[in-house]
Amino acid sequence: MRFFALLCVAMFAGLVGQHFIGPLPPYGARVLLLPVIMFYGALALPVPGMLALALCGGLMWDALHVQVILPEENSVEVALGWSIVLYAVLGTLMSGFRPLFQRGRWEIHCLLSGVCTSVIVLAEYLMRTFRADPDNPVVLIFNQEIWWRIGGAGMIAAMLSPLFFFALNYLAFLVGHDPQPARKGRATT
Amino acid sequence: MSRRIVIPSVAAFIVLVGLILILSPHNMRRVQAGFLGLISPFLKTGSTVEKKFREFREGLKTLDQLEADNKRLSIANKDLSATNQTLRGLEAENNQLRKALQYRERAVFTLKPARIIGRDASTWYNKIVIDRGSEDGLAKEGDQPVLTEAGLVGKTTVVSDHSATVVLIADETCKVAGNVEGTREQGIIKGERMSNSRTPSVGLNFISKQANLQPGQNVYTSGTGGVFPGGVLIGQVKEFKVKELDGYASLIPAVDLATLEDVFVVVGKTK
Repeated sequence: MRFFALLCVAMFAGLVGQHFIGPLPPYGARVLLLPVIMFYGALALPVPGMLALALCGGLMWDALHVQVILPEENSVEVALGWSIVLYAVLGTLMSGFRPLFQRGRWEIHCLLSGVCTSVIVLAEYLMRTFRADPDNPVVLIFNQEIWWRIGGAGMIAAMLSPLFFFALNYLAFLVGHDPQPARKGRATT
Repeated sequence: MSRRIVIPSVAAFIVLVGLILILSPHNMRRVQAGFLGLISPFLKTGSTVEKKFREFREGLKTLDQLEADNKRLSIANKDLSATNQTLRGLEAENNQLRKALQYRERAVFTLKPARIIGRDASTWYNKIVIDRGSEDGLAKEGDQPVLTEAGLVGKTTVVSDHSATVVLIADETCKVAGNVEGTREQGIIKGERMSNSRTPSVGLNFISKQANLQPGQNVYTSGTGGVFPGGVLIGQVKEFKVKELDGYASLIPAVDLATLEDVFVVVGKTK
């Protein structure tokens, strides 16, 4: 429970921190910290914990960023809560790799964290495209700029993941939670 | 993990998400405003620290430089006060004449200064957070124009007690009715999908194919639509293109959205 609370605080801090990191050149890829923390939580917590974390993280994200209310129609472009579903689906995918993580392996999880972050950005793009302007036909643009923004966010997340995973693992031990109980030299006989 | 724990937790998750997804737009905005109120003290603190750090990094000025700056600003202040007084007189005179000609009196707007405390960190949205909210006189339902002395910035959306989110003109959801200086051309200005505050891309849509706009022509708000007052500079024409059914002009926003620090919110009208 203390570890779950710690992850929620870390996600909130990540959300605040993201505001002070501008879009990166050349095409404006963003540094997304909250998803990295969320995906670490999906590895370190059992399924119910992961779902609760997806609920908190997705709600925080949507409340601040995603959905926009279109005043003319009094309708929403992207409804509050869609990110929760997205985080839960991707968190479930990460959970599938939990046994490997518990044995002390990180590599594939860091890469997967980057891929999942890109999926979030892509999903947001698709949601905006399909919901943006009900009066106009849907136009899907996939040019170099769009791909850079989607892939760039994932690459940055993959590069930041080892740092975050290490720091959060350390904090987990401080609050009495062992996220990798089956690690070599730690497993009980 | 035991199914006896997983299955109820998944069921509870689905129910909770379902309840959140069916919230009405009004309640969604309330949730957003509540969360914005929660996060804004952290954004304010972070923004203050960032500003102090930047000021420190840009270097300390000598006393001579400060004195020179002070003198220059005092003169500029007196000059602007005098101009303001003259313009107020002209405004009153203009309104009297409009009245005599049975035109609608031009409204005078009250501006509320605000500081930017955060920039949206999502990839596809162009928003900023300012340090003024409903307690400072902003309308809770949002939709109030935000501008600087250089031109239009955007409009408020989610408003909490002491902070508000502003959607920039570079965002595709911010649509503004505008007209082109020296022509009768009118159109809708909105941001492009790839736009962001560092490289804003704004376009004037639905103008006639014969418009033949030239680079550098100013585009102003037309005042129709009820959100934005008329006559506020939006930007300059960069390029004019003829599309299948109408004309399109890409614009350079008058306001540098990347370096923006302080803005004004149009909070009301006074006669």
